[in-house]
Amino acid sequence: MKCEWVHENILLHIYNELPDDARYELEQHVARCADCAAELKAARQFHATISQFTVDEPPPNLMAASRMRLEEALETTEQGGFWQRLVFDPAAWLRPVKLAPALGAAIFIVGFAGGIGATYQVMNGRNPIELPAAAPAESSITGIQSISQQPGSSQISIRYNTVATQEAQGSLNDQRIQQLLLFATRNNYNSGVRMDSVDLLTQTPNDTHVREALLYALRYDSNPGVRLKAIEGLGSYVKDDVRVRDAVLEALVNDSNPGLRTQALHLLQPVRADSSVRLVLERLAESDENQYIRSQARNVLSQMSEID
Amino acid sequence: MPADAWAISSAVGGCSHGDASRPQRERSNESQDPLARGHMAGHSLGRIDDTLLVREAQRGNRAAFEELVRHYDQAVLRLAVHLTGSEHEAQDIYQDAFLKAYKSMSNFRFECSFYTWIYRIVTNLCLDHLRKKQVRKEDAPVAVDAQGEHYDVLAQVPDGRAGANPERDLMRRELGTRINHALHKLTPRERMVFELKHYQGLKLRTVGEILNTTEETAKNTLFRATQKLRGALADMR
Repeated sequence: MKCEWVHENILLHIYNELPDDARYELEQHVARCADCAAELKAARQFHATISQFTVDEPPPNLMAASRMRLEEALETTEQGGFWQRLVFDPAAWLRPVKLAPALGAAIFIVGFAGGIGATYQVMNGRNPIELPAAAPAESSITGIQSISQQPGSSQISIRYNTVATQEAQGSLNDQRIQQLLLFATRNNYNSGVRMDSVDLLTQTPNDTHVREALLYALRYDSNPGVRLKAIEGLGSYVKDDVRVRDAVLEALVNDSNPGLRTQALHLLQPVRADSSVRLVLERLAESDENQYIRSQARNVLSQMSEID
Repeated sequence: MPADAWAISSAVGGCSHGDASRPQRERSNESQDPLARGHMAGHSLGRIDDTLLVREAQRGNRAAFEELVRHYDQAVLRLAVHLTGSEHEAQDIYQDAFLKAYKSMSNFRFECSFYTWIYRIVTNLCLDHLRKKQVRKEDAPVAVDAQGEHYDVLAQVPDGRAGANPERDLMRRELGTRINHALHKLTPRERMVFELKHYQGLKLRTVGEILNTTEETAKNTLFRATQKLRGALADMR
């Protein structure tokens, strides 16, 4: 151990901030080094000298006066400004959902869409669009609790959470109901609720937004049941809508659920002449891991050659 | 950027060292370190966790914030009085620090202890004060009380020891004056590190956190400050 190291660490030794092993080594060195022993003695002496000057508690009167003055000031002080809450609080609010990528992404998408929409309104000098008073703002919905349809009736009941749980009732044609159903397909942890909403939406797949929601569910929903409902709802559009056909093809190639792939294969039969479909079928017939899919793909291709 | 603004922004930015633990005082050998007694961190030991109070205060509960204030305000005022040498200025720092904390409660992210956060605000206000004072060259070891009258801050140091006598008391005052004069010769940063380490008894790691620097830098600053003080007070040994 060098004397230089000891000189640098004597101060830490005096303040009891040296680790035990370093402290032991320092003491051992000082015991056999006269220079370092003298330095330690001088440092201790200085420490003792300066320690005679102590810091006392503040006078009670000053303490009391300071507290009273602070209390008075707090009476008229707002905790955090509006802009501070706006800037910082959403970040704190988002922290609990940072492990839920789908919900997080949905929230950001809604946020960005809202921002772009607001900018567009300002740029065009228009007044903001006023939603009907009873319409739930999508950004205020925290989740869909349940969806139910009364037997023999067109009435649908949807329970959803905002700050407090609310309930909306109406027919499938009701804009409010559709809005909630569309929200439920993308933003709910409960797969049962997502399945109910997709199931109901398949009754009105003509609506562009509904079809978008079904495509989204087919591509991204984690629950195979929900994806199966979505593909069933989209089935009648495979022939006319290329986007639907592509989504079904994607499902046929990539989906992890064999039942859903089989369903996709059946749906694509009417459009087997499509070059993309044909290419996919040929590939599946040749090398798909699933024997049933391989044989079904061959069947479809053979029917096609018979027609040709 | 003014120091107070830096204090808030750095506090909002969180704890650079990511340690939320409460600072620990040197207690293992108090007989060797008589100053490590009864100061700011001592109040934190055995205290209920601040977390609940902070959360309540963040929800707008003023009573919870006032409870937090009571946990730390005596230490804050003591530090401010000692550093500024003025009861009036110390009161201003006390007021500014807690009002800033109150307004910024929603920005506190629990990335460090509330203790570290509030002291970061206080020390930055004090550093700002010391820097301004240094520019004005007002380094006389006299203080101004709440009524605006000047007095020697060291004359207020009581000698509670048994057998104290006027001669010894006079010597102590003279010693205090010399020490205070030497302390005023330090840079604001050196003064702050020495204050927090020696007089407030904080661990160097905590000093580093409060001043938004590393333990190593705090150690080096303390070393420099001590060397300067030893040089200035060499004839007293």
